[in-house]
Amino acid sequence: MATLTESRKNTLRRAIQAIVGKSAVVSDPEELLVYESDGLTLFRALADFVVFPTSTEQVAALVRLANQEGLPFVARGAGTGLSGGCLPAEGGLVISLSRMTRIVEVDYDNQLAVVEPGLVNLHLSWAVGPRGYYYAPDPSSQQACTIGGNIANNSGGPHTLKYGVTTNHVLGLEVVLPDGEVVWLGGKMRDPQGYDLVGIFVGSEGTFGIATKIVVRLLRKPQAVKTILAVFDEIEKASEAVSAIIGRGLVPAALEMIDQVTIQAVEDAFGCGYPRDAAAALLIELDGLAAGIDAQAERVGAACVEAGAREVRTAKDEAERQLLWKGRKSAFGAYGRVSPAYLVMDGVIPRTKLPYVLRRVNEIVAAANLRVGNVFHAGDGNLHPNILYDPRRPGEEERVVQAGAEILKVCAEVGGSISGEHGIGLEKMDYMPFIFSPADLATMHRVKEAFNPRGLCNPGKIFPTKKSCVEVGPAYRAHPIEEQGLAQRF
Amino acid sequence: MQPALLDKVRGIVGSEYVLTGVELSPYVLEGRTPEAAVFPGSVEEVSHVLALASEAGVAVTPWGGGTKISIGAPPTRLGIVLGLRRLNRLLEHEPGDLTATAQGGITLEALQAALGARGQWFSLDPAFGREATLGGILAANASGPRRHLYGTARDLLIGVAVVSADGAVVRGGGKVVKNVAGYDLPKLYIGSFGTLGVIVEATVKLRPLPDDDRLVLAGFERLKDCGQAVRLVLTSDLIPSAVDLLDGEALRGLGLAAGAGVGGALLLGFDGMREQVKWQCEEAKRVVSEAGPVEHRVLEAYAREETWRLVREVGRRAFADPAAVLQLAVLPTQVTEVVEQAGVVAQRNGLKAAFAAHAAVGVVTAVLADGGDSAQPVIATLREWRELVRAAGGHAVLERAPLAVKEQVAVWEPPGAAFRIMERIKAQLDPKGVLNPGRFVGGI
Repeated sequence: MATLTESRKNTLRRAIQAIVGKSAVVSDPEELLVYESDGLTLFRALADFVVFPTSTEQVAALVRLANQEGLPFVARGAGTGLSGGCLPAEGGLVISLSRMTRIVEVDYDNQLAVVEPGLVNLHLSWAVGPRGYYYAPDPSSQQACTIGGNIANNSGGPHTLKYGVTTNHVLGLEVVLPDGEVVWLGGKMRDPQGYDLVGIFVGSEGTFGIATKIVVRLLRKPQAVKTILAVFDEIEKASEAVSAIIGRGLVPAALEMIDQVTIQAVEDAFGCGYPRDAAAALLIELDGLAAGIDAQAERVGAACVEAGAREVRTAKDEAERQLLWKGRKSAFGAYGRVSPAYLVMDGVIPRTKLPYVLRRVNEIVAAANLRVGNVFHAGDGNLHPNILYDPRRPGEEERVVQAGAEILKVCAEVGGSISGEHGIGLEKMDYMPFIFSPADLATMHRVKEAFNPRGLCNPGKIFPTKKSCVEVGPAYRAHPIEEQGLAQRF
Repeated sequence: MQPALLDKVRGIVGSEYVLTGVELSPYVLEGRTPEAAVFPGSVEEVSHVLALASEAGVAVTPWGGGTKISIGAPPTRLGIVLGLRRLNRLLEHEPGDLTATAQGGITLEALQAALGARGQWFSLDPAFGREATLGGILAANASGPRRHLYGTARDLLIGVAVVSADGAVVRGGGKVVKNVAGYDLPKLYIGSFGTLGVIVEATVKLRPLPDDDRLVLAGFERLKDCGQAVRLVLTSDLIPSAVDLLDGEALRGLGLAAGAGVGGALLLGFDGMREQVKWQCEEAKRVVSEAGPVEHRVLEAYAREETWRLVREVGRRAFADPAAVLQLAVLPTQVTEVVEQAGVVAQRNGLKAAFAAHAAVGVVTAVLADGGDSAQPVIATLREWRELVRAAGGHAVLERAPLAVKEQVAVWEPPGAAFRIMERIKAQLDPKGVLNPGRFVGGI
């Protein structure tokens, strides 16, 4: 929210330009609009400046300037986040890392890479793929999202069931601390001494500083991959199949569920080969050694059939496998065909509670006279109910937000969490007490004080605050980059 | 400590769970005797004891099985030893969720037995599982050979309950395998050696028990050849769960060497489905053959378990009376060279040394044999080892050494630029400095 006087703004612009150059600062109100939201367009906040540094030194200089001037600042990657985490809630600087995209070093022998934060997630796997390696965390937005953004949110993805989330793949970080000092947390070696600052930094949603270099682990590509589609006439049976697979001692690389609303949207949009009349489908991927993979696939198939699958088929080649995954990964985009807008929830539950919670989700949404599409990481218990709605209808957005809160309450009640991978950001600050006591929150706040005592670094997030200048619906309008066809929501 | 305070503590936990005087001999730390050892029976009792101690400014040293208590600088203050062994229950285990919640004082062996009865296990295998407690393992970030595939505590811990310095019960994380709500507090307590809070409960990820589990041991004339074998394995299709490397001295010390001419061995763990384990054992033999092994064995069942147990306990077993143990971390590709050089250093100082490495993650345990009356050769060797590791860009922690050595050789590396953040975290979470004071990095 622009509250600076014109003259102060001019002075600041010159100071920023002195650091990054004229072409790396945006302050025109029209242009700033592009950065007023992330993938969750429910929230909007305007920066005073969006700045595009190209080096650690520039980031550090910007942060020092922000400290001198008492300006809030927040790092931004690709803006694909889904909780409003990178919005300038109190105005000030948005520090975009989109020009820091280098792969600084790849050390194949030690299976690690050093990258800059603006590097697109998938680009790393592309770069190391020819040598037989890849970077495991694979959020659905991996074609656009940045590894720096993944650090902030501790991003997951379909394959985290077997391979873990971002934090399990990060060894070290070069960080510009909230006061502008540049330090290394962790490094290339394992078991760094002292407190696990890498561990606490990852997932801190940009409130502990800005990562400017990232040391990640690379994995060897598996020898074999098998992708199975199991089709169900009842969503309950699909849920039971998830428990049956895990209960048989199988740990698939991915175990995803897609419901009928989603299947139909995906089929209309892309024609990926999912049966339109199915109540739900499970997309199950096994990977690893070629030896035994057929036997594993049989065990998975048997578990699905026993739970009541009407059809189980294995992708016969890479093309069919890619098509099935396309259906899964572009599901969010496909909702645009069936609804003007949707709100994606991100609750997590113990896997065994899946049948109960899905039933409750449907009840809650039906009671609010809304529709829901489910596409999610069933193997992890990470739900993504997408509540479909039309923001132009008065009162509908409020009902959506209310239903979303009720869903998260149910997740909390069964021993789950309010976010599995999207983060708290602006969206879920008020829901934190669903799962954390005042003592828990106070401890988190103390840790924040240790990193960010002045509170200038990404203020107004995670913990409730009154100072925020964020606009919240209901006056929906399409985001400029959506209008320009430059982005879809993930 | 005031007698009145001790009486209050007795009132909280019961007199039979408060040790004083001569009963404290098992809890003497670096030559210092605590004022009392207290064994609470519930989280509430832990909370009350800590609140009292904090109020009175009495230092509290949490104590699980004591297997890692030797790690750390001598304590600056030693008041109450807080034993967690009575908090030994498995609280929840739902096999379909692949998670379990247990109290901090449960031993690893008891935890694995309970999980194993229902077909699952907690995939962390540090040494001394019979005594080591879950909370202690987390606080010390202890790990074992299987960390190669299954990771360390930071990859497995999803939720934690700690009692903070002032007695508040604080929970971080949760009970689900994926969770980004709020800061990842469980990470802070891993490897914090009890300086930020007392771990009273932990929720961990589990794995199904494998159908089969074997150990492939390939012996080589030279350590260098072991290093080559490691590289061959890492660039093959094999997916070992453990990739450990032992030098000749370690092999002999543990009684694992078949012949005198073995300069090192590669130990590979393979677990999973029967068909996969069989294929991996055969493929491993083919893959490492290029490095010219002089010995090749496949161990199963008891022989396998015994071998892994000895390897994990190398710090206590390589020599009859080891003088010091240094754990160091370098890049995986530096392991054999660093081990060779460290061996030369020890020899030059007239000491025997043995080395065991989790080779593919670059974590090495270096054990130094006792050199007789003078501590000087031990001190000289440890200092040179430190230099060697630093020159390689790595870091080392002195895991065990007599007090006389610790007075001459730093236990931890000098803290780096990020240390001020660590100090601030400590000041925020334990403002009075009552939790395990003085033992951690940088004097925390």
